[in-house]
Amino acid sequence: MSALRTEGLGKRYGGSAWALRDCSIEIPEGSVTALLGPNGAGKSTLLEMAVGLLEPSAGTIEVLGHSPWEEAEEMLPRIGFVAQDHPLHARFSLGEMIEYGQRLNPSFDVRLAERRLGRIGAAPEHKVGKLSGGQQSQLALTLALAKRPELLLLDEPVAALDPRARREFLATTVEAVAETGMTVVLSSHIVADLERICDHIVILSGSRQMLAGPIEEILARHRLLTGPRSDARTVSRVHQVIRESHTPRQTTLLVRADGHVYDSCWTPREVDLEEIVLAYLGYGELEDRCDEEAYA
Amino acid sequence: MIWLGWRQQRTEALIALAIVAALAALLIPTGISMSSAVHHESASAFAARFSSLGNLIAWLTLIPGLIGVLLAAPFVLALEHGTYRLDWTQSVPRRRWVATKLGLSAASAIVAAGVLLLLLTWWREPFVELQGRVAPAVYDSEGTVVFAYTLVALALATAIGAVWRRAVPALAVGLVLYVGARVFVDTWLRERLVAADTAVWSVNHKAPNLDKTWILEQFPADGHGAHIPNYSCQVGAGGACALPTLHHGFIHAVYQPASHFWSLQLTETAIFGAIAAALLCFAGWWTRNRVA
Repeated sequence: MSALRTEGLGKRYGGSAWALRDCSIEIPEGSVTALLGPNGAGKSTLLEMAVGLLEPSAGTIEVLGHSPWEEAEEMLPRIGFVAQDHPLHARFSLGEMIEYGQRLNPSFDVRLAERRLGRIGAAPEHKVGKLSGGQQSQLALTLALAKRPELLLLDEPVAALDPRARREFLATTVEAVAETGMTVVLSSHIVADLERICDHIVILSGSRQMLAGPIEEILARHRLLTGPRSDARTVSRVHQVIRESHTPRQTTLLVRADGHVYDSCWTPREVDLEEIVLAYLGYGELEDRCDEEAYA
Repeated sequence: MIWLGWRQQRTEALIALAIVAALAALLIPTGISMSSAVHHESASAFAARFSSLGNLIAWLTLIPGLIGVLLAAPFVLALEHGTYRLDWTQSVPRRRWVATKLGLSAASAIVAAGVLLLLLTWWREPFVELQGRVAPAVYDSEGTVVFAYTLVALALATAIGAVWRRAVPALAVGLVLYVGARVFVDTWLRERLVAADTAVWSVNHKAPNLDKTWILEQFPADGHGAHIPNYSCQVGAGGACALPTLHHGFIHAVYQPASHFWSLQLTETAIFGAIAAALLCFAGWWTRNRVA
């Protein structure tokens, strides 16, 4: 059973270019998925369609078995969403924000909200507009978590936060996932933070999906091949070459391998997630680290 | 959802209340002294003492417009600040969010207009004896049009704000359009809403009593109805045209009698009310379908 499923999903604003195009992904229930891609890749568009803020222009999207645009009433109580700029009612006090959550959501967990807000170090009378950026994002996350959602969607949750607030935010998320086993999708253009908490990734670039799957499987299947300077064509007959780079003496390939690489001309090496992501996004130099270390 | 709607609009509703309260503080003391004076003083003494105060009411017709655009602010601010995106991802479908917010602002506008109407009607009571209710300067602070004016100002600012999503310019443009619409209706449309009466009398006879009517036009004419040039009316008793130097001919007067007050009021209320309803529906539809 998938928590979120899209089929040929696309979105264009007005008559302009596609913000997201031909996107078919499946996010399994219980997974923690990172939605990766540079700014403008369509991450926010995908998430906003998933929470019913945007109407799809093409294809279909299903969230917890419902169409978010047409069946918002059934879907909304079961999801939590924190938007990139996490808008809050600045004129409300913290206490009113909890009352807000309670009045607008049938299954709002007031005790959970109060417990979490107790930790951010501000009194219930404190005005939301006067909280720090980190406190505001914690408040936005708290509101989403207190809905007791089956699916939590976070749009660039840590981009605007300083390192400490970022760590706290991610820790809160990890803790909540461990407690409830909910499905989480979070978008980011930074890989580093997410590797620790995610088990699936989806890579979007140029408004299209480049790669999707469990991180373990992705790591297992991608290899960096180094060998004497040669054409990538022999390799691409068997494996999918994602990115190649050449120096006068040697060729380096990042491949998605179907099975083992038996060709003895190539020295295979495991790659980390960040290298894979960068290769799919089309930037980052492919370098054999062993070489670098040899020079160092 | 009503809790949220009210919480977001509390400040503006209190400002509207403060405007009405300030007006009440101004009008209630003078109203009390007028209502006692009208029974003890002669009509001319009363008019001499209070007519400048009575003319003040022409300015009060701006207040429904101000209150209307003010009450549009919470809706537009929610769009400008992006808090609607938080609201729409709670468990309330946006359809209900839009309906509740617009419904509450319209309800507040109706309540504010009602209080304003009661206050102005009570205050002007002594003047009705003198001036009637149909003349342009006083017509628009009484009757059902006060509701329609408030609602149309609210709806204009709301519809512009739904598309523009910037509160300050939307409210300013809304107020300007409201004043424009009012000027158009006051100076051109209103006199055409209900067919006016015409009176014709010979200059040698006594003029009819046009007191407490709204005179649209008066001119001297010959027996065939053609204008007699080079004469301009002097206002005589009862507001009728008097021409002591003209010895032959007729005076034509076109006017709305006092009895047309309610048909004028209801027609104008229906027009502004329909425009307000259409604009609010448009704002709701646009917000529901075009805003993301």
